[in-house]
Amino acid sequence: MQLRQSLWPEGKRSCVALAFDVDGPTGNAMLDGSIWRNPAFFTLGSYGPWRAVGYLLDLLAEYRVPTTFFVPGWVLETWPAQIKAIVDRGHDIGYHGYQHEAFWQLTRARQQDVMARSLALFHKHLGLTPTGFRTPSGDWGDDTIEVLLDAGVTWSSSMRGDDRPYFIEHAASGRNLVEIPGRWELDDYASLAYQRHPDFPAGLDRIAPYDTTLDNWRREFDGSHRDGLCMTTLFHPKVSGKPGRILLLERLLQHMREADGVWFATCGEVAQWWRTVHPPAGAMA
Amino acid sequence: MTTLPQWPHGKRMAVVVSVDFFDTHAILTQEPRMAGREKSLSVWQYGARRGVDRLLQVFEEFKLAASWFVPGRVAIEHRALVQRIHAAGHEIGNATFACEDFERLSLAHQHDSLCSAQAALRDATGVAPVGFRAPFGNWSPGFTQHLREAGIEWSSSWRGDDRPYFHPPSGTSTTPLVEVPLHYELEDDPYFTFNLFPPVPVGQPRIASYREVLANWRQDFAGFHRFGLCLPLRIHPEILGTAGRIDLLRELLTTMRAHDDVWVATGREVAQWWRSQHDGNEPGHPVDVLAPLQQASQLS
Repeated sequence: MQLRQSLWPEGKRSCVALAFDVDGPTGNAMLDGSIWRNPAFFTLGSYGPWRAVGYLLDLLAEYRVPTTFFVPGWVLETWPAQIKAIVDRGHDIGYHGYQHEAFWQLTRARQQDVMARSLALFHKHLGLTPTGFRTPSGDWGDDTIEVLLDAGVTWSSSMRGDDRPYFIEHAASGRNLVEIPGRWELDDYASLAYQRHPDFPAGLDRIAPYDTTLDNWRREFDGSHRDGLCMTTLFHPKVSGKPGRILLLERLLQHMREADGVWFATCGEVAQWWRTVHPPAGAMA
Repeated sequence: MTTLPQWPHGKRMAVVVSVDFFDTHAILTQEPRMAGREKSLSVWQYGARRGVDRLLQVFEEFKLAASWFVPGRVAIEHRALVQRIHAAGHEIGNATFACEDFERLSLAHQHDSLCSAQAALRDATGVAPVGFRAPFGNWSPGFTQHLREAGIEWSSSWRGDDRPYFHPPSGTSTTPLVEVPLHYELEDDPYFTFNLFPPVPVGQPRIASYREVLANWRQDFAGFHRFGLCLPLRIHPEILGTAGRIDLLRELLTTMRAHDDVWVATGREVAQWWRSQHDGNEPGHPVDVLAPLQQASQLS
């Protein structure tokens, strides 16, 4: 359903908050230690921060698209130069765990440790304090919102259930986060990621055709733009930043750039806009 | 900001066509329930029966030397065929003795498998291989040294880059092992391998659309060409060497050959070139990040 009034600055029709998760080799296999016996899998994941981020930054510069990168602390401390280049080229960085921990399975204390450890690394290597968070593996626990708020996080891009930002309230303290929800349709794992041992997809379904994947993504943008919404992505450098798929992203960016009235913004800018212009009912603007 | 590699004769990119001639050995390791199931196994036996010849024919049409990875047992069981591949001018690399999963083997057994295969391949062709592929990708710390001591100069088993890199130096070897890293999207198996029961792949996905796979491969080629990288094509005689699919290979090679700046070479040639041009990896390479972390995890 098309909105009657623009939700976005300067009357722009829709918003694109392009985003990548720079997971590298972090995740379950690193958390359980099995990755140290699995060099094929370690190197597969490393391709993202090691090589693909560089290609992506060139592409994003060409199309002038400010982008948000969610970076686990381990990836930052392992490849600081590659991650610093993201900041140097004007993009935003958000929290994404230390080794891509599943927050919903962590105690409150462990979640606090992960946030503090990540913050120390952001200070040390980049001299910055992130304001945003994307929960690794998608889910968080009952206490996560409070952990995030206490860590100074003001926005998140973790959920799936809407097509525009909204507020997640922490009733006990009256504080809130701006949530910028994504969609599985715009997660490149759902179409392009493939790995063996550990298998992904679990049943080893085929890698999707690039042409039809691009068509899906274009249609996602077209619908979001038509209805005046906010579209973010869950792309991964190790998946869609590979040489053949850079060309796919290039065509997607071309397509979005050809549309009139798109506000290309980082998730941080979107969150700030939303908090200022669309505050929750009853809140002080 | 990204530094791109140089290739010989001013070529823009390199292509290494590699063939896994594993017969039934890799699938028996991957899916032990396959044992004794003649119909299912014959899917994989098709390679030796028909697929190898069909690939050889296409390589001859395109005047192309490929790198074939052959386990020791295949050199024994299909000796004449392996000799013909060798006589046609292709490189023959070591693919372990029976496509064992090295993650489930001790380092000593990995070493035995390597050496038995090296002996069997030398016996069949008269030449000791200098290339190696771990069929399931992994080996234990310390095995790199065994590879170098066995005369192996290059491997194509790991991932993590789009150009060759060096494994960390090990033991007394002064010249490190060169890796020609793989990419799943440039392999035929993820798109096409199929068996009803035991199910391969495990989730019984549909066989991919041939023309869409060709379109993906062409786009991957276009990307590797644009950035000037090393494209590793990994194919199987029983998968791509069929009457219905062999033209995918022809059409892909035709696309590549339409460019005069593509260096199609064996892994051995690419590794030699890389060695002649580079003293080591760029700092922070994943393979150099991994080694000390593997060591630390063994100690803990």
